[in-house]
Amino acid sequence: MDTTVAITQSNTRAETRQGPFWRITAIARNAFREAVRDRVLYNLVLFVLLLTVAAIFIGELSGGQERKVIVDLGLSATLLFGVFIAIFVGVGLVYKEIERRTIYAVFSKPVGRGEFLVGKYLGLCLTLLVNVVVMGVGVSLALLYVKRGWDPLITTIWPAVLLIYIELMLLTAVALFFSSFSSPALSALLTFFVFIIGHFSADLKSLAVSLGSAGARWLFTGLYYLLPNLANYSFITPAAHGRAPSAGFVFASALYAFVYIAVILAAATLIFSRRNFK
Amino acid sequence: MNTGLKNDRMKTVSLALMVVVGFACAVLLLRWTDTLRPPADPNAIDESLYLNGKTARRISLGFNGLMADWYWMRSLQYVGKKIINTPEDVSIDSLGQLNLKLLAPLLDTATTLDPEFMDPYEYAAIVLPAVDVQQAIRITQKGIDANPNAWKLYHHLGYIYWQQRDYQAASEMYGRGAQIPGAPAWMEAMKAKMVGDGGSRATAREIYKRMYEQAGEEQVKDMARKRLWQLDSFDQRDILRRLFADYKTRTGKCPDSWREIEPVLRALRIPVDQSGAPLDPSRTAYVLKAGECEAELDWRKSGVPLR
Repeated sequence: MDTTVAITQSNTRAETRQGPFWRITAIARNAFREAVRDRVLYNLVLFVLLLTVAAIFIGELSGGQERKVIVDLGLSATLLFGVFIAIFVGVGLVYKEIERRTIYAVFSKPVGRGEFLVGKYLGLCLTLLVNVVVMGVGVSLALLYVKRGWDPLITTIWPAVLLIYIELMLLTAVALFFSSFSSPALSALLTFFVFIIGHFSADLKSLAVSLGSAGARWLFTGLYYLLPNLANYSFITPAAHGRAPSAGFVFASALYAFVYIAVILAAATLIFSRRNFK
Repeated sequence: MNTGLKNDRMKTVSLALMVVVGFACAVLLLRWTDTLRPPADPNAIDESLYLNGKTARRISLGFNGLMADWYWMRSLQYVGKKIINTPEDVSIDSLGQLNLKLLAPLLDTATTLDPEFMDPYEYAAIVLPAVDVQQAIRITQKGIDANPNAWKLYHHLGYIYWQQRDYQAASEMYGRGAQIPGAPAWMEAMKAKMVGDGGSRATAREIYKRMYEQAGEEQVKDMARKRLWQLDSFDQRDILRRLFADYKTRTGKCPDSWREIEPVLRALRIPVDQSGAPLDPSRTAYVLKAGECEAELDWRKSGVPLR
């Protein structure tokens, strides 16, 4: 089924239900279907191959540390694959609609630009959720295979998987924000920079403290608060040692991410609403 | 219509054939190029690391655990390659002659990337003292600073000091480790043993026994087992020397074959083979130095370390 037709049909169904929630749900569902049709989830095959090879051969190379290596490798691959999906699919979400001119069909219906953006965002988040959950299950199965039975690490990896997913949600919002006003290539580059700088947040803060010039101090302090602090979502290494983050930490990190995502999506909507498609 | 179909099929077959033949040619060409390539620089394995631990951690972008695993596996491969290239059989705690100059930076980087990763500390404590004892102490101390509740690290540091015959420092380390909740009772016993009896065979046996029990890394376990064999072999050879002395007192000469003292060996429950020769802990027969009242390890077959 063509994307435009799918959206139009879904929106027609959504209209009958009357309300932004249903319209956003319809757009999100279609964004998810589109991602599946674009074979985004094929990366899971590569992931499974990677884990299978690791589970079978890593024991010989790691000096008896195969469980730690499987968790490190599995969760790092989950993050890395997720980052690629968030960036490369995220930056194309809006651009593809404009390029194919299907956006005219969408906006000829009573769909707000904000609803369109949020729907697209949630659709990709759903794709990432499926991806991350399947990968988490894959890591758990690899641990079961290596330990030849129940492994306590299986329970400690899931909070780390949750934090990875929240980080990917944040990054997707950033990608969508950049794509609301610039080209896909530039958006991908800028989002990748945000991913890198986001993991250097602690350095930005210490740089701000150590600098003598007041202007530089303000600049780096400003950057520290402006850019998302992605270091908070790196819990892969402790998970590999069987340590899970506290519920309070996960809650605070999730809350920060949701507030940041709301701000980013609001800013993206603001820019996108003023964009002229003629 | 039929001609068109035939042409299409011909095209498909030709392209498939081109893929298969082309790939086969590429493989053959690569094999040929491999034979022409100049031999690899044997010193390349010792090329300095580009990144120190702190820089590697900073640029790891949350993948520090995976990078630590990578450096850990590199450490194992590095030592493994050096051992393979050495003609004689060497124990991992006596690799000083192998020029392992990259081992300390590799282990340091692995532990900086993941300070909770225990196996590199253990490896540093066992393998590094023969290469660079100060680095071994520094890395193990770094582990203690990062994991003050890990009593095993005090055991490792105590072992390094014990090897250096600094029994006072070793005792202090075992004492500090013994105070950590969850530390086994033998840590406290080791503290006392180090001060009173640090250089004895009994203390060495206790250390290697505990190391064998606690080791996470198979190479370390194997080394501890072989050191325990060596200690058992020292005890066995002491007994054999006493038997030779008794025999010489009785007969006025040293035994010419194991058969002559086999009944005594059996009475002392020392395992013997079919020829009556006593077996060392690796189940290899001792060699009798006829006329010298001396038994020695069969260095070609025995698994017991000679040094």
